[in-house]
Amino acid sequence: MMSHRPLYMKSRYRYLKWFLWLVFVIGVVICGSYGFSWRRTPQDLVTHSILKDKTFEAKVQEIVSPQLKIKAYLIEDKTNPIISVSFLFKNAGYATDNEGEQGIANLVASLLTEGTAELTAQQLKEELESRAIAVSFAADRDDFSGSLLTTRDNMFKAFALLRDMLGHPRFETDDIMRAKAVLTEAIRRQNEHPQNRLSLRMNEVLFAGHPYGRNPLGKTKDINRISETQLRQFVADNLNRQNLIVGIAGDINKNEAERMLDNVFADITSSGRINFVRTPEIKFDGRKVLMSEPTGQNISLKAVAGVGRNDADFYPLFIANQILGGSGLTSRLSQEIREKRGLTYGVYSYLDLSDKAPLLMAGFATTAENYAEAEKLFAKEWNAFSKNGVSAEELAKAKNYLIASYNLRFSSISGIADILAAMQKYNLGADFLKKRNEYVKEVTLEQVNNVAKKYFDVNRLVSVSIGRFNEETRE
Amino acid sequence: MKKSFLHILLLSGLLAFSFGAQAKLFNGDEFVLDNGLRVIVLPNHKAPIVKHMVWYKSGGADELSGKGGSAHLLEHLMFRGTDNVSGEEFNRLTEENGMDGNAFTGQDMTAYHQSLDVTRLELAMFLEADRMQHLQISDKDFALERDIVFQERKQRVDNNPVAYFGEVLRRSLWQEHPYARPVTGMPEEIMSLTRDDVIDFYNKHYTPNNAILVLSGDIDVSTARDLAQKYYGGLKKHPQLNKKDFPELENPSRFRVDMSRPQINAYRVTRVFAAPSVNFMAEDIYALSVLSAYLGEGETSRFYKKLVVDDKVAVGVSTSYDFASRSYGTFNISAVPQQGVSPEELLKRLDDEWENSVNALNKAKLEKVKNKMLSGMVYLRDNPNEAANIVGALAVAGMSLADIEAQEDKIRAVTVEQVRSAARRLKEKSSQIEGILRPERQEVL
Repeated sequence: MMSHRPLYMKSRYRYLKWFLWLVFVIGVVICGSYGFSWRRTPQDLVTHSILKDKTFEAKVQEIVSPQLKIKAYLIEDKTNPIISVSFLFKNAGYATDNEGEQGIANLVASLLTEGTAELTAQQLKEELESRAIAVSFAADRDDFSGSLLTTRDNMFKAFALLRDMLGHPRFETDDIMRAKAVLTEAIRRQNEHPQNRLSLRMNEVLFAGHPYGRNPLGKTKDINRISETQLRQFVADNLNRQNLIVGIAGDINKNEAERMLDNVFADITSSGRINFVRTPEIKFDGRKVLMSEPTGQNISLKAVAGVGRNDADFYPLFIANQILGGSGLTSRLSQEIREKRGLTYGVYSYLDLSDKAPLLMAGFATTAENYAEAEKLFAKEWNAFSKNGVSAEELAKAKNYLIASYNLRFSSISGIADILAAMQKYNLGADFLKKRNEYVKEVTLEQVNNVAKKYFDVNRLVSVSIGRFNEETRE
Repeated sequence: MKKSFLHILLLSGLLAFSFGAQAKLFNGDEFVLDNGLRVIVLPNHKAPIVKHMVWYKSGGADELSGKGGSAHLLEHLMFRGTDNVSGEEFNRLTEENGMDGNAFTGQDMTAYHQSLDVTRLELAMFLEADRMQHLQISDKDFALERDIVFQERKQRVDNNPVAYFGEVLRRSLWQEHPYARPVTGMPEEIMSLTRDDVIDFYNKHYTPNNAILVLSGDIDVSTARDLAQKYYGGLKKHPQLNKKDFPELENPSRFRVDMSRPQINAYRVTRVFAAPSVNFMAEDIYALSVLSAYLGEGETSRFYKKLVVDDKVAVGVSTSYDFASRSYGTFNISAVPQQGVSPEELLKRLDDEWENSVNALNKAKLEKVKNKMLSGMVYLRDNPNEAANIVGALAVAGMSLADIEAQEDKIRAVTVEQVRSAARRLKEKSSQIEGILRPERQEVL
């Protein structure tokens, strides 16, 4: 009957009631140090926790470099002597690759760490590894991004190396050949997993004829033909200060960060020539595509129009998605298809925030014999969501999750730098981190039910599935 | 935004092969409650968040034979409710309080964890302590969760030819050793498990004296001590905890698995050694950590420079060494041949380069490798979630926090001769498996 045993245990509750005062007195004596109080529900453990007053404010500074006037966001954090810089070149992702050069953004991303004018690939890597400086680049659908992680001790060396990687890439023939071999090998392997084949097919189905329909890795034929001149042209056109966004976090002050910007981004061009990607015209007409293959399990992927990060419907849709198929096992889809029936290991929905075609996506995997039932349940839930909306209780629950989990995103310095870059990409403002929980709180039941009706239309949902299908599931 | 590949590679490389740094890398503390629960605290005050983990020193290797998958199925059922909190209530509470929670099962251990705002920590501790000893398993929940883990197995292994290849390799390497069995269980095994099998596992292994609590994040040691005592201190210890005896691999075996699958488009080769661990020939573990870093970790390693850059026989190559296990560890080499190079040829070249590299090792090269291994240690202190994972994985294999924290010295102390002899022992005396995965449609090489 000690205080460490929770007092609300149902099986013991009636016995404990007899000893309420006794327990209280013992409890005060034993647990006085952490403010014991009579608790009835587990949630009270939070209300009365000795840790309940811990709060956090991430102070975002808007900085501008003195010479080149590069703007950036900074969060200074001195808990660990490390620094992360996250940057992106907007609209320089793989969707902007020239026709006949599909894969060039990826190729450049892997080659920027393969040497500078002064250092061969091996020399550069030795420099980076011996000082534990991590630099990497990547091209996603919309943007070309990069990140730097360094210790404070090595920061000046790190900035100098990054400046050279961006401004004076080496592009040596041998290194280009090697990067091409790695990329084409990745394309070859891409088709080995049914999930990848399904995703590629979904891109084609939704975006036929539009650059979003491309293979994210590129085309082997194109990659093999890309020349050094083309690589240099890509850098000149796409990696410039006009489309640059930078987020900085860690053990670096405003002054140092501003000088870093002038240093690191000094040798790239001030402006370039970007291929702007048009908005695709997508037919959300409820069509179903089946890829018949002898896989171990069927996988299904669904898509319908969503909204961009700055749309008035964004927060209501964000919350609606959390309720229908967001993280956790209590979402409606998880409850109906996984928890109550054991038909799948995972069913989910999420918002895809691609610049030119924001989507609401969903999917699940299940063995062929369960597939028809899972599809029926999925359609039923999706339809009911659109028709009946959500309850006030569900809304409160989703908001609680989104607000209570908010601080989890500040676990790593590079994660924080990424957030700062994303805030600028989406024009959320430097005070976004302060306001975000308010944005979530403000969403009303009516707004969520309106977006449920507006976006979750089962007749518009495009579906692509891979696996084994029978007569019933072919219909 | 995309997490950079190299970035992750470099960090995970660091995590994989070297865990120590300055005298006190994590500035953590550890203590044991009267009921035998070991508690490790890793303070990190960057944000008001914490990782709360409970590791049980039991996993797939502790299953009775023919009961494959019971440890993992139990892990799932731990989310289905206790005498005090129903499964729905459990999920509602964790989600409403913003916890990102999950669990995982390995050969040697099972871990339950939540990343959460520290203001919710007491609730998480209550829930985790509660399910250590008051689990309820209804027939209905049992049947449902068995179906779910069957689907999980299908998704993770049967739909993934590379994962399937890995399973076949492990079976061939470990033979009669429990590590041969897949943690998921085979599909037919999963479907033949009973509720009693799982309850039996729970009763034998889920007890404070078989567990480690890790708290990593915005919490100080004295608060952690008070809360650990408050929530876990009242749990009863198991009077007779049986320590598992692992069989020794007799007569080191040398097998080759040569597998082709219709889905496979690209060749892969691999060589896996049954290697020393913290519990088996532990005197070799730091030398082998250095060996792995020297041979194949990162793009300045010997294998990469020789086989990828200079001779162009491989598109990629890497080594990894895992010594955090209760029985043998594993030392792994994997590579992807360049177009036109046969997998057999690449395996041969890997062997040759192993020999050349071990012979070429000298003091200067060794110092360079050690420096590469140790220079980025400060990053391990950055993310409380990662720190908890690393420390927990080593602690559950039997290492003390003091040993985990002070490994820089051990790595610094490794000599050229130690690396050479550890490499020789591994190559000549240990069981090993060679694997080739190839497309079913053979290309002309």
